[in-house]
Amino acid sequence: MRAVWRAARAAVRRRRLQTFVITLVTLFSTATIVIALALLDASSAPFDRAFDAQRGPHVVAVYSSVTPAVATDAEAVAGPFPQVELDVPGDGGPVWVTGPITLVGRAEPGGPVDRLDLFAGRWATGRDEAVINLDPPPAGMADDFTREIIGRTITVPGRPVLTIVGTAWSLSHTADVWVSPATMASLRPTGSQVLYRFTGGDRPVPPEGLLATRSYLTQKAEVAAGPGTILPFLIVFGLLGLITAVLIVANVVSGAVVSGFRHIGVLKALGFTPPQVVLVYLIMVTVPAFVGAVLGTVAGSLAAKPLLYNAFLGLGLDPQVTSRPWVPLTGLVGVPLLVVLTAVVPASRAHRLSAAEAISAGAAPKAGRGLRAQRALAGTRLPRVLSLGLGLPFARPGRTGLTLAALLLGVTTVTFAGGLAASVIRYTEAVDQADAVQVQVRPNPAAVGSTTSQRTDPQVEALLRGLPGTVHVTADLSMPVSAAGHVEPLNVDFLRGDADTLGYQDQLVEGRWRSAPGEVVASSAALHHLGLAVGDTLSLSYDGRHEPVTIVGKTMEGGLGDGDLFADWSLFTALAPGHRVVNNEVMYWIRVSGDPGAYLSAVRAADPGLSAWAAGSGLSNSFTLSVLAISVVFAGMIGIVAALSVFNTVLLNVRERRRDLGMLKSIGMTPRQVVAMTVTSMAVLGVVAGVAGIPAGIGAHRLILPMAGAAAEIDLPARMFHVWNPGGLALVVLAGVAIAVLGALLPARRAARLPIAEVLHNE
Amino acid sequence: MTTVVRLDGVRKEYGETAALDGVSLRIEAGEAVAVMGPSGCGKSTMLNLIAGLDRPTAGLVEVHDEDLGKLNETGLALFRRRRIGMIFQFFNLLDDLPALDNVALAAQLMGVTARQARRRALELFDELGIADRRNAYPATLSGGERQRVAVARALMNRPALLLADEPTGALDSRSGEQVMDLLLDLNQIGQTLLLVTHDRQLAEKCATRVVEMADGRVVV
Repeated sequence: MRAVWRAARAAVRRRRLQTFVITLVTLFSTATIVIALALLDASSAPFDRAFDAQRGPHVVAVYSSVTPAVATDAEAVAGPFPQVELDVPGDGGPVWVTGPITLVGRAEPGGPVDRLDLFAGRWATGRDEAVINLDPPPAGMADDFTREIIGRTITVPGRPVLTIVGTAWSLSHTADVWVSPATMASLRPTGSQVLYRFTGGDRPVPPEGLLATRSYLTQKAEVAAGPGTILPFLIVFGLLGLITAVLIVANVVSGAVVSGFRHIGVLKALGFTPPQVVLVYLIMVTVPAFVGAVLGTVAGSLAAKPLLYNAFLGLGLDPQVTSRPWVPLTGLVGVPLLVVLTAVVPASRAHRLSAAEAISAGAAPKAGRGLRAQRALAGTRLPRVLSLGLGLPFARPGRTGLTLAALLLGVTTVTFAGGLAASVIRYTEAVDQADAVQVQVRPNPAAVGSTTSQRTDPQVEALLRGLPGTVHVTADLSMPVSAAGHVEPLNVDFLRGDADTLGYQDQLVEGRWRSAPGEVVASSAALHHLGLAVGDTLSLSYDGRHEPVTIVGKTMEGGLGDGDLFADWSLFTALAPGHRVVNNEVMYWIRVSGDPGAYLSAVRAADPGLSAWAAGSGLSNSFTLSVLAISVVFAGMIGIVAALSVFNTVLLNVRERRRDLGMLKSIGMTPRQVVAMTVTSMAVLGVVAGVAGIPAGIGAHRLILPMAGAAAEIDLPARMFHVWNPGGLALVVLAGVAIAVLGALLPARRAARLPIAEVLHNE
Repeated sequence: MTTVVRLDGVRKEYGETAALDGVSLRIEAGEAVAVMGPSGCGKSTMLNLIAGLDRPTAGLVEVHDEDLGKLNETGLALFRRRRIGMIFQFFNLLDDLPALDNVALAAQLMGVTARQARRRALELFDELGIADRRNAYPATLSGGERQRVAVARALMNRPALLLADEPTGALDSRSGEQVMDLLLDLNQIGQTLLLVTHDRQLAEKCATRVVEMADGRVVV
């Protein structure tokens, strides 16, 4: 055993570059595998994992009695918590807590069931303090949230004014607002909330005094749309990363063993038994592979954390969820195991060969491979150096095939990632109307400590139109309106002013924008829910009045607050002639020329009762960030791993062809020609991978994007798919070539510096 | 007489070992010089320096008025293309190319078209008596045939100097004889030849002058 260990150590020391390459390849491959598995893990039952992390309630029950009966078969119970439903007027609080809300009295955010994620501020422990239920912000934006929300008030006529002291998130949405039990007493609770957690899902709860129940499955279905949007991307990137990494490890390791056949033959000739020789080579490749696997697992776990955070945020779930232990374990154990398996196959071949056969098998590639190709290339008009390079891959078809596969996956990933990023950016720009709207203005609600505007809605619009820099102004009043034959009211955005300039036309999937008073445009989600299509009619009603409308167009998404319909202001006037518009109900969308920052200052100076802010670029949206981050990381990682595969292939090819290279140099091939020949041998693979990878990447894009849209109940217009132009595609082909050339360059330069006399003498 | 090769005080060290220790030598145009000596005496090292395959540690190596010490790697490669033809003991042919393309390669590296290069190669094959083997791959050629292909390759660019390192070392006696005759014929038509060999018979048959080496020095 000592002899085996000594021989293995000597082999590792002698082949320092190969050892380094194996370590590097397994490091990057393991990191890619760990990140890929982390994302695949995140995509498997994300709701269940986030639900279990928060110890979510399988049943939320509301009782009329203060002390309801106990469910003896429950795994855990929280409550009873006193609760009340209130209707917050439009000017009674921040937009997230207006309308009908549920308030629950809880002494703490923790407990045996429904552990809340308090992500800003503090818990409501004092009198008339409140914590509101909100989704966590994207990473790095918690401070903005705190500034924007903490300190605002909630005012309901006849009730104490509540001051917001914190924001928390409940996946199960057990309340809109939490207050202390003492505060709840003054709000005159009408029921008790009890949270039940069962083993194996929801069960019947004690019926005495039961007013209502909600199963966690309802929440799961509602939440599923969000994760569904991003899940397909996670799965595709995860699978691409996994397959590429496995392929490359197999290529590198098997190549390392095959290139050592001669050495194996020499060891056998010295007296090493076949099992000992196999063991030497397994040790030789496994030791650096294990080092690479450890480093790669650490690197991958660290890199996966921010990706998982954003992915879960994009899923609308608890971003604190981490990947399960099997993920890093697979990196630590799985990759070295993969290395052993891929080494065993060629090593067992050497095991069977006699010493002489192994020595000759370890010489240059079998004469006879690729002869036809070389012959054909020799007759072309190409510079001889290039035609020689083009013929090199045919000498080792297996190794070339694996390298080509790695490059193909690299190009496919780059194409898919590029298309996905372009589509997501295009979608976000369309949804956020970045070109059409730079400023949003809304009058402050009437609340203690808040400056309110005395202007009416038309006066606010007139003021804004009169400010320097104003190009377009659109007033947007969003309110729920009933529709005949449908249980749930529809959220309608009534638009006045320059509505046609808002850019919603960019979102049109079907039909056209409305041009007459009785016409509406619907979001794709709304049409799915209503079971309607473009061209259908609808009867809207409000406060006893009815108005028929025709759906003339379908957009990707709706307006404010996930609106269902876009309509003209005249429809609002027809439906609710007596409705007194409180100025805070109206949002103003403004397109400005010049500096939006200066415009904001001008608005505030003109009327301190108006809140104005710059419309977001959309890229801060957590979904967009998640997708872009994942796209960039995976395209980069897989590109690097593919380049390393090329690096290793060229290294092995140069080693096997040392004698040939020495001969070529001896008859006058310059160092630059050696580099050109070597790089050409891989560049051609890059071109093939580039050309073949484009349709594969585009195909994946065309397949996955509609799946994501369908999961989010968003229909996507054709322009979301047509994100490539000839120039862009040419860049992708170049990317394939670039990956191949970069991978080949260093070993090619090494080949150019081969000492001729030494090589010819030794070989 | 034109001096084709000039070595002055050439020294080549590998670590602490001096493979060549102050060698001086002149080879005139049209000469056939055989360098002989025991293994490790430095004869192959000297050949490599003259061919520009290696660099001296000290001293002057001048071939066809070109100071090889002043050339970079690209310069040496171009020098080898234009001035030198090399014949190796183990032939060093590319197994992936048929015999004709192996030979044509030497001219194609100079920028000659494939057609022209093949035509020239075919002429040489005719002269060397292996025209019928032009499409054969090296693995199917005998030792003697391979060496003749190697000679053809060495002659492709009409070199000023033909260098041969143990040209008959890997051949049977009959093939060796044929190669010896070939080299003799080439020298008789004016080809300058530097030959490294253990074979006393080859040296006496082909060489106009024999240089003996020992311990990195020219002794005779």
